[in-house]
Amino acid sequence: MKKFELITGRTLKQGIALHIGKTTESYQNAVAVAYLNKVDMDENFITEGKNILLSTDFGRVVVKALKDDIPKGMIFMPYGPWANLLISVNTHGTGMPDFKSLIAWFSPVDEEVWSWEKVLKEVKTL
Amino acid sequence: MKKIDNVICPFCGCLCDDLSIRIENNKIISVEKGCSISKSLFLNHDKDLALPTVYGEKTSIKESVKEAVNILSSKKHTLIYGLSSTSIETQRIALELAEFLGGSIDQTSSVCHGPTVLATQQTGINTCTLGEVKNRADVVLFWGSNPLESHQRHYKRYSLFPKGMFIPNGRKSRKLIVADVRPTNSSKLADIFLQIDIGKDYEVINVLRLLLKGKKPTSDIVGGIEVKKLKDLLDVMLSANYGVIFFGMGLTMTKGKYHNVEAAISLVRELNFHTRWSIEAMRGHYNVKGAGSVFSWQTGFPYAVNFSLGYPRYNPGEFSAVDLLRRKEVDSMLVIASDPAAAFPHKAVKNMMDIPLIVIDPKVSISSKIADVIIPTAQVGIGTAGTAYRMDGIPLRMKKLISSPYPSDVDVLSSILSGIKEVKK
Repeated sequence: MKKFELITGRTLKQGIALHIGKTTESYQNAVAVAYLNKVDMDENFITEGKNILLSTDFGRVVVKALKDDIPKGMIFMPYGPWANLLISVNTHGTGMPDFKSLIAWFSPVDEEVWSWEKVLKEVKTL
Repeated sequence: MKKIDNVICPFCGCLCDDLSIRIENNKIISVEKGCSISKSLFLNHDKDLALPTVYGEKTSIKESVKEAVNILSSKKHTLIYGLSSTSIETQRIALELAEFLGGSIDQTSSVCHGPTVLATQQTGINTCTLGEVKNRADVVLFWGSNPLESHQRHYKRYSLFPKGMFIPNGRKSRKLIVADVRPTNSSKLADIFLQIDIGKDYEVINVLRLLLKGKKPTSDIVGGIEVKKLKDLLDVMLSANYGVIFFGMGLTMTKGKYHNVEAAISLVRELNFHTRWSIEAMRGHYNVKGAGSVFSWQTGFPYAVNFSLGYPRYNPGEFSAVDLLRRKEVDSMLVIASDPAAAFPHKAVKNMMDIPLIVIDPKVSISSKIADVIIPTAQVGIGTAGTAYRMDGIPLRMKKLISSPYPSDVDVLSSILSGIKEVKK
């Protein structure tokens, strides 16, 4: 499966939604998403709004794929519980996990975007 | 209805202090001048509030504080974490509590600008206030930062658009450079945009240092950027009367972490042999700068502090929250003014689930959803007053705007501390 570089970061939608409530639909819609380059979406038969199973060596999560003008080969996710399912707990002695430049891959799925409850359930089973 | 002017926004490190808030029947009904995040914060201040809870059962604040005392007084190694979205008065008591418990205490810099702190300890830093930026900076460089999404009014109030003492024409008197791995809303306004390959910031910064010393790199392209373009960029930087680099998570979270920041600080130091440059971290939570300051003046160390030997020890990687949880070295956790269950890698969150967890927060959070004890408090800057430090270290006093049904963080932590002292007497 083709490998991509995943980076996580802040978005305006996330900042607005977190004050509406971390357990609300607004927050999920803002954070449970992955931004992809249009060419990468086309090559992987993914249309805007399609759900994808996103995986790294450290975990997996189902989120919604959205189009963005990021470079080809890159995936961008807003910070939050969904992205954190993909992040290693190792800090290399710095205290700071690798929230950027992770190797990730994805495939389209018919499964619904995971809710925050499902995310916590996944964490519990690890 | 009443209108309160010069209100400070308790969201990001900009601490914008020019907001006007209208209040009717103890409810905020409008926000003027705030950014869209600030408006969401103020207008939703009474939504999704946390309730005092013990093991899933709704109870009173008094009972939830009592259970927190029971848990903390019976455990051997408590981790206190958060503290960047509350007042310095709260931070001070949290440190006293950590010392009394002989536990560990960490603040959110740990997973944010912690590497900046490490780099600053290595190299020192040429920094400045945002007032100096507004009044003097004619070249502004944002590296790995997207202020239009994270610090929405930074461009407007401090770094790009405002007219200043030596910047008579505002935007027209300034050059904006943005360096990032992807185009962003912030980069769209830039005069020069450097799109760097992921994880190559360290190389690009060091090539700029090399060029500044009059030497040539062996390659024509570094980090996806032509060296010729970097030479042109350096000419612009050297033409500044007063330049500033603002940097964000693009440097601290990327591979290399504090080495990236060290390189950026070193570049600024070397630019000062030619003209005036400063560098400033784009601090996220509104009082994360205060947390570092209070930690430092109370313990000598800015974060990741442990008191198990009776005196403060500092070691990121050992006493930082994610590492303590990863190694399962703590047997209880007190979270205040933060949401680590939404911010930490999943394995750290899993280990939070396995120990007694107390959450002090005005609102429902992902952490509160896995907490054993929830103690709701009044939001600083809305339901209670308090002091916070802006990202450049300027302290500002935040107002109480409305009456909150809940006590302040200071009151709750003081009650927990006095309760534990009583038990351990």
